[in-house]
Amino acid sequence: MNCEEFALAGLGAEHDSEYSAAQEAAAREHLAVCAHCAALAESWDAALSKLRLLADITSVDGAPARVEMRLRQEFRTRNRIMKTRRAAVIAAWGLAAAAVLVGAVSWTNWRARQVVTKQDAAGAVANAKSASGSDATSMGNDSAANNLVADNLLAENGENEFTALPGAIYSGSDDAEIVRVRMQRSSLGTLGFPVNEDSAAEWIQVDLLVGNDGLPQAVRVAE
Amino acid sequence: MINLKEATDDVLLKRAAKGDEEAFTVVYRRHQAAIYRFALRMTGSPWAAEEIVQDVFMTLVRDPKKYNAQLGTISAFLYGVARNRILKHRERLPREVALEVKDEDGSGPGLVLKDTLTPAIWAEKRERTAQIRAAVLELPEEFREAVVLCELQELSYEEAAAAAGCPIGTIRSRLHRGRALLLAKLEIFREAPRRVSATG
Repeated sequence: MNCEEFALAGLGAEHDSEYSAAQEAAAREHLAVCAHCAALAESWDAALSKLRLLADITSVDGAPARVEMRLRQEFRTRNRIMKTRRAAVIAAWGLAAAAVLVGAVSWTNWRARQVVTKQDAAGAVANAKSASGSDATSMGNDSAANNLVADNLLAENGENEFTALPGAIYSGSDDAEIVRVRMQRSSLGTLGFPVNEDSAAEWIQVDLLVGNDGLPQAVRVAE
Repeated sequence: MINLKEATDDVLLKRAAKGDEEAFTVVYRRHQAAIYRFALRMTGSPWAAEEIVQDVFMTLVRDPKKYNAQLGTISAFLYGVARNRILKHRERLPREVALEVKDEDGSGPGLVLKDTLTPAIWAEKRERTAQIRAAVLELPEEFREAVVLCELQELSYEEAAAAAGCPIGTIRSRLHRGRALLLAKLEIFREAPRRVSATG
């Protein structure tokens, strides 16, 4: 062992778990022959005793009790905030789940109602077949009547752009059915509307709003 | 029912993270003294040491996930946080004026003695430790840290390396240089050790 190795490993060897018995013997041998390192070791022992004294007077029990008090207070506050935040998150998720559930139920109900409405409308179309058949006869055109039956289409159940027929009692579309029919423009004249003679022979499609009594209440020209 | 005082740090910290105040208190009481002494010996100021201990454990309160048991012991983690706080304290030191009691000669902040001795013994102890205290506090940061951890905190090289977050070899060489500087400052060893640069 040389001086440098001794200074590096020989001093404070008690902290070094890797310091072996062989190293210790080598250090002892070196101390016996090196006056410089012997003086260094002696000096370090003197410094160490002072360090021990400093360690002794500063080996206090720990931080003042107020530190623990402050930390516990902070811990409680943080914990309360965390609990509140967790509750808020759970509540938000719960509300979102409830909204989704309500939406799903509403959609299902709406779909079910749509199916029922379509079935009702199909029944109304069947009724309209007989009514439109008589209209076609009055127009004296069998092929047109056939087309009318074929073209009887169920329009959307809306009352936009409907014009009330003169003399009819228009009570709104709540209880009425919409029936699409094909007719000559001149037929609008029979319903009380003015017709341009130049286009009187033109075939058009109109939506008739038919009331519960089977009489048309309003009309609109289909697109 | 678990006995908190016998539970490991990891178990206690997990419970603390779930809001168990008693578990946190046990962890605090288990480690606070060592951290306080380390901070006190590094800064020489009881006030600063108190603040550092509070900051260190506040880190655990605010973000318990910062401690990862896979990376080391809670003790090493706390020492690491304390080191950072001590560095920050040193950085802002010139801007702060301590209001605490100074030494009798008016220099440097005084350390709090552990026990209430008679004034004569107290004065004698103070006098005997004044030089070594000043010498330790004057050491450059990394050498002071090594000396405090190994010689005052009496940690092994492995523990000191874990606390300082560096390899054992680094601790060994820092301690070597710290010792040389300390001896030079204490003027115990007139013939300065060879091959050791005593800077600072």
